[in-house]
Amino acid sequence: MTLRPLAPLAVYGAAVAVAFALVGGVLAAFGANPLECYGAMLHATFTDPQGRSEVLRRTIPLLLIGGGLTVAFRAGFLNIGAEGQLLLGAVGAAAVALFLPATPANLPAMFLAGATAGALWAFPAAWLRSRLRVHEILTTLMLTPVAEYLVVYLINGPWRGEHVRGFSYTDSFPERLQLPVLEGTLVHWPTLALGAALAAALQLLLTYTPAGYELRVVGSSPPVARYAGIAIHRVVFLAGILSGGAAGLAGAGEVAGIHHRLLEPAQVSLGYGYTAIIVAWLARGRPIAVLLTAPLLGAILAGGDTLKTGFNMPFRIIDVFSGTLLLCLITAEALWPRRERRGP
Amino acid sequence: MRMTKVAVAVSLALSAVSLAAEPAKPAAAEKKIKACFIYVGPVGDLGWSNAHDEARRLAEKAIPGLETQFVEAVPEAQGLPVIDRLVQQGCKVIFTTSFGYMDHTVEAAKKYPDVVFGHATGFKRGPNLATYMADFYQVYYLNGLMAGALTKSGKVGYVGAFPIPELKRHISAFALGVRAARPDAVVNVKWISSWFSPQKAREAAEALMVEGNDVLAFTEDTATVVQVAARKKIPSFSHYSPMYRFAPDYAVSGQLVHWEKIYIDFLSKVRDGTYGPGKLKDVDYWWLLKEGAVEMGAQPGMPINPKYVGALKKAQMTVGGKQVAVYDRVMELLKDMQSPSPKFDPFDGPIKDRNGVERVPAGRHMTVEELGSMQWVAPGVVGPVADEPK
Amino acid sequence: MTQELLAAALRALSLGAPLLIAAVGAIANERAGVVNLGIEGMMSLGALAAFSVAVEGHSPALAVAAALAAGMLAALVHAVVSLTVAANSYVSGLALAMLGVGVAGILGRRYEGFPLLDPVAEEPFLVAAGALAVGLWVFLRFTRPGLVLRSVGESPAAADALGVHVTAVRYGAVAFGGALAGLAGAFLSLSYRPAWTDGMSGGLGWIAVALVIFVGWHPLRAVLGSTFFGLLYYLQFRLQDQGRIPVEVFGAMPYALVVVALALSGLRKARGSAPAALGIPYRRGER
Repeated sequence: MTLRPLAPLAVYGAAVAVAFALVGGVLAAFGANPLECYGAMLHATFTDPQGRSEVLRRTIPLLLIGGGLTVAFRAGFLNIGAEGQLLLGAVGAAAVALFLPATPANLPAMFLAGATAGALWAFPAAWLRSRLRVHEILTTLMLTPVAEYLVVYLINGPWRGEHVRGFSYTDSFPERLQLPVLEGTLVHWPTLALGAALAAALQLLLTYTPAGYELRVVGSSPPVARYAGIAIHRVVFLAGILSGGAAGLAGAGEVAGIHHRLLEPAQVSLGYGYTAIIVAWLARGRPIAVLLTAPLLGAILAGGDTLKTGFNMPFRIIDVFSGTLLLCLITAEALWPRRERRGP
Repeated sequence: MRMTKVAVAVSLALSAVSLAAEPAKPAAAEKKIKACFIYVGPVGDLGWSNAHDEARRLAEKAIPGLETQFVEAVPEAQGLPVIDRLVQQGCKVIFTTSFGYMDHTVEAAKKYPDVVFGHATGFKRGPNLATYMADFYQVYYLNGLMAGALTKSGKVGYVGAFPIPELKRHISAFALGVRAARPDAVVNVKWISSWFSPQKAREAAEALMVEGNDVLAFTEDTATVVQVAARKKIPSFSHYSPMYRFAPDYAVSGQLVHWEKIYIDFLSKVRDGTYGPGKLKDVDYWWLLKEGAVEMGAQPGMPINPKYVGALKKAQMTVGGKQVAVYDRVMELLKDMQSPSPKFDPFDGPIKDRNGVERVPAGRHMTVEELGSMQWVAPGVVGPVADEPK
Repeated sequence: MTQELLAAALRALSLGAPLLIAAVGAIANERAGVVNLGIEGMMSLGALAAFSVAVEGHSPALAVAAALAAGMLAALVHAVVSLTVAANSYVSGLALAMLGVGVAGILGRRYEGFPLLDPVAEEPFLVAAGALAVGLWVFLRFTRPGLVLRSVGESPAAADALGVHVTAVRYGAVAFGGALAGLAGAFLSLSYRPAWTDGMSGGLGWIAVALVIFVGWHPLRAVLGSTFFGLLYYLQFRLQDQGRIPVEVFGAMPYALVVVALALSGLRKARGSAPAALGIPYRRGER
């Protein structure tokens, strides 16, 4: 009985090993020594302090978005537009930073604005799903390019900075609206703390509150939920909005903590919205688990970068790695007999 | 593959050295430097990053004792961590090849005072941070002359990426050239909001051709526009990389870059000690035709596609009240701007922008800083241009 | 004016072709109950396969065959993972999208920067696209095997009880879908833009995924839908000159309009005719 909690870890561990072996083949085909590469990756992500900060930096947005998505997935709302919601969060935070008259509350206001903007961006998809049963995969996906164009419009047009020599950026945020970072790194720890707190809060919400209970029922069996008189559409709607808001927080964190300005969408969001889907999926419906899965994906991304920097691997190796790992993980998970299944 | 083996071997060697903690050996007969390059895009495209990488290769061949490494597709926010890693791997010279790396490069230069940094397209320098740029505006003017001569409809099309100063500068120079050859012509610009998108480039080019533009130029990191134009028998101007082979009958000319001229010059000076930490505060390369950092043509060594020479010789334009063949004018200006002391500059005053406001008074040149932060566009440019000054 | 309309129509059909081809394939496998979000990856692999064969001087037919094979192979991985292993098919598709684009990017390195000197004409692909759409419609609507496929997607348990080998049918459908995604990629690298660059599929695979849902899994409506999308894409450049409306509005238009169209169809209570068993792994004996 005591071994059961370890079982998933063993399964995932085996899957990771298989993935490493497969990608090792690819590396060997490139003339690199796989063991050498992996050694470097491990060093870069775990033993090297600078490398650890790189993992942490990527973990921050993954933590926030992943937490929100876990809840959304649990309710059956497949939000794959977190990328766009993150961008809107960045826009909201930038609006506060650039245009609101200075008050001490501005920094929290940035995050509030970010969360609101992100939630707003998830609103159409959430509403259409809850009211008109329009599938959210499509609506969330379609709104991401719209978000990208919005950002491009703002940085090229009305929000273009005065001190940027005509390039496509807003002005830098004032100093006091830039988040503190860990010494010598890019890790904006307030957002990290926020992410951890949110994951814990969401877990508590899910496990101990009536709303959380309703959400779990809706996710596991809609007919039962209906029978129990739960307002399914409202639960789904709120779950969707919440995941949008969490993604918005991540966007606010990125611009407040790293960029200190609004810039090209492809630079603000490095695919976090999509990677977070893996983070959430691996969390198997438990928000608290993103505290493990987010750093894992952060380590994979950071490790992939090592392959790029240290071994001149083409940058696509990261996609190959992520894809292989994901396939191995879901295969392992499916082959292992489990009593319950969670997720989409 | 060889490169990877070298990189692996070097990493191994470096690790071995650092672990053994040997004292520094006296300087060997041949001084070795390791120069590292950070690219914002993938090296496989036919654009910006690819050009830098080609230059890196050439520099490596040209300078004895030079060893290079590169990292591709590095987002702007990851400049500093990548620099950290490269310094760890022993890079003594680091080139950051995109404007967006500016703040990180400045910070890194302060963090590693013994490492030499070069920031392309930037304007902030320091004791160990130089800036450099190879710009096309002269070449675009010459391309414009040819475009103006070749267009029958009087409409020339331009597929643009983002309305940043570099593009506004290029489009304006292009338009000034077009109008010099054909005063009633216009340059229609369409924006694709992307540096790399074959589909957008194609559809924008198609839209331009439907609207009657019969000569095309562009800024995008593939040869799509050249191919698409050639299919409709429309002449075009290649951009950044040699694209002649994509349309041998329709690529008239274009812009080519030779970053290696800058890299070889800079690295040689680092090697012989002229440049080093503490000496770079005023080192700013703004290299043009004169230094050979840029070249006109769709292929190196071929300024104008022979198929078009005849038409360009026939076409006439007015210069200083006299009629000259466009071909002669182009070659004359090319020769002048390639000479050690050029007399002509496309942005010599008086120039008004397309809204009629005077931007360059008579008798003045535009300074490097003005060119680098250009916001206005020249007359003849038609289409939405974001953030134009009033 | 007619020239203008003709040009617009041609552009719409041209960009709509790869969308239509990929969408038809996706409709086939989704009607059989298997989601495939990996179209983007399969398209990339197909594009590379076709280009690598064609650039060596072989016939376009061989290049197309290579693309079909590449797409099918990638789809079979998806089939094994989502059908035999019965893992989550949504995530499997996502993983394959990443993997396909990544593998194509790496393998395609040596082909970058070379034009295809003998590009293939677009018309055969346009015709094929239309034929495939009509063919699938006829197949699904009027033939017995088509009925079998639909039943597998709507109610696999019932089909199984009637002696249909559910998994085999689904494998076939997924393979077909993958092959067509590969074909769409071949169009891109042989015809639309005869060259290879990393990231060539440029998001078209995702638009195809969207298209399938947008047209309600109906092959004939996919013809209209893909043309519509193609038209919007083209219009974003054609309409840029207004000067008053920012160019980004036009760029965002196709996507925003999809959302609007979905909202409208939701209002009309067109119950999204998604196959009932879509995305649910079938295990014999399970409820």
